[in-house]
Amino acid sequence: MGLEAKLKQDGFFTTTIDALAAWSRKNSVWPMPMGISCCAIEMMAVGDPKFDIARFGSEVMRFTPRQCDLMIVAGTVTYKMAHVVKKIFDQMPEPKWVIAMGACTSSGGMYRSYNVVQGIDQFLPVDVYLAGCPPRPENLLNALIQIQEKIGKTRVRDYPDQPLEPQTIQQN
Amino acid sequence: MEFKDLLLNSIKENLHGFEFVASEFRDELTLSFNKKDILRVCHALKNNPDLSFSFCEDITAVDWSRRTNRYTVVYHIFSMKNKFRLRLQCDVDENDCSIDSVSTVWKTADWEERETYDMYGINFNNHPDLRRMYMPEEFEYYPLRKDFPLMGIPGSLPLPKK
Amino acid sequence: MIEQYIPVFLVVAFAIIFAVVVVFSSKILGPQRPTPEKLSTYESGMKPVGSTHERVSVKYYLVAMLFIIFDLEVIFVYPWAVQFKNLFHEIGTSVFFSMLIFLIVLELGYLYVYKKGGFKWD
Repeated sequence: MGLEAKLKQDGFFTTTIDALAAWSRKNSVWPMPMGISCCAIEMMAVGDPKFDIARFGSEVMRFTPRQCDLMIVAGTVTYKMAHVVKKIFDQMPEPKWVIAMGACTSSGGMYRSYNVVQGIDQFLPVDVYLAGCPPRPENLLNALIQIQEKIGKTRVRDYPDQPLEPQTIQQN
Repeated sequence: MEFKDLLLNSIKENLHGFEFVASEFRDELTLSFNKKDILRVCHALKNNPDLSFSFCEDITAVDWSRRTNRYTVVYHIFSMKNKFRLRLQCDVDENDCSIDSVSTVWKTADWEERETYDMYGINFNNHPDLRRMYMPEEFEYYPLRKDFPLMGIPGSLPLPKK
Repeated sequence: MIEQYIPVFLVVAFAIIFAVVVVFSSKILGPQRPTPEKLSTYESGMKPVGSTHERVSVKYYLVAMLFIIFDLEVIFVYPWAVQFKNLFHEIGTSVFFSMLIFLIVLELGYLYVYKKGGFKWD
C-alpha cells in the first residue's frame, strides 16, 4: 500500500523515516547481473572474495529480476538482445537503478556496427556509466558506491503507489 | 611424393571433364572451378579413400563488387587422414545467385551455408533448411555485401522503446 | 502443570507473529506500481513458450506414498527402541516379539508391492 510514501510534509518524523528507508535501501542493494559478454567476468570477479561485493550489502546476485534493485548490464548489447534486456528490466519492481558497465553499454564501445546498440541509454534509463574495457572490479565497486550515494538522497515520496490501469492483462 | 601431387593426380584420373585452376600461396593450395562441378568434386574428394577430405571447416563468400561474377563462394576443407587443407573457390554471378548445396556431403555445411546465405544472400539449391542465422527473420538486407553501410539502415532492426 | 508449557506457547506465538509481520509488512510498506509488463511471466526475457499446466508423471506420487507409509513404520520403532531396556525388565521377551510381529506384517505389504512392480521406476 505504500504507507510511507504518503508522508508529505518535512517534519522530524518524515525526515527520520526518509533517512531510515534510504539507509536500508542503500545498504542492501541486490544486483541483477545482466552478464552478456566479457564484462561479466569482471562482475564475477567482484563477486568473489578478493573484491568482495557482499561487504557493501550486495549479498546475493539473484538471477531473477523479481528480487533485485540494481541491474548491472555487463557486455555488448546487440539489437536482438536489447529486447530481452528491456523485458527483464521491466520485470524488476520499483525502486530500481541501472549501471552501464563497460564501453560497449555506454556507447557501443569498439563495435561501431549495424547490429550493436550504440549505448544502452537508447532504451534504458541509466544511472551510472562505467568506463573501461573491461572496467576493473574496483571500478565497479566505485559505481556501486555512487549508486548507494544516489539512493541515500532519495525520499520515500519519490516512489508513490501507482495502481494498475483498468485493462485486460495480456501475457506477452 | 607429396600429398599435393597425389591429390592433383587423383583428380585428373577420377574426375573427367573437370577444368580447374590450381594456385598456391604460402603452402596453401586453392582450386578454382565452375560452380556446376561443386557437388561432383566434393563427393569425389570426400569418398576417395586416399584423399578422404572428411571435414568441411568453413564456407564463406567474397563480394568483389564487380559487374560479372560478383561473388566467390569459398570452401575450406580438411583431410584428417592426410592432415592437408584445401581451398575450393567458385564464382557466382549476381543474376544467377545460387549454387548447389554440399550439405549432403558434409553435415557441417548445413549451418555454414546458412551463415553465408544470411550474410550475402547466396541461395543454396537443395539445402534442407535455408533461413537466416544471425539477423532476425524479417531482416530485408544482406549485411556483408559491399553496398550495405557499416552502421546499417536506420530502422531496419527494431529497438525497444524507452 | 500447564505452567510448564508456557515457554512452548511463547515460542509458537513468536513464530506466528514473526511470519505474519514479515510477509505482510512488504505489502504495507513499499511502493506498489504494477504494470502489464512487470506482471508478465518471467522466462529469461523471452516470450513464454509452452503451457503452465504441464502434466507430472504419476511415479512421483507412488514414490511419495510408499515413503510416507514406511517412514511412519520407522517412527513407531523409535520410541520402542528408547524404552526397550525398561520394558524388557518389566515384561520379558514379549516386548521383542510384539515388535517383530508388527514388522513382519508390514514386511508382507512390502513384498506385495515389490512383486507388483511398485518399485520399478520406469
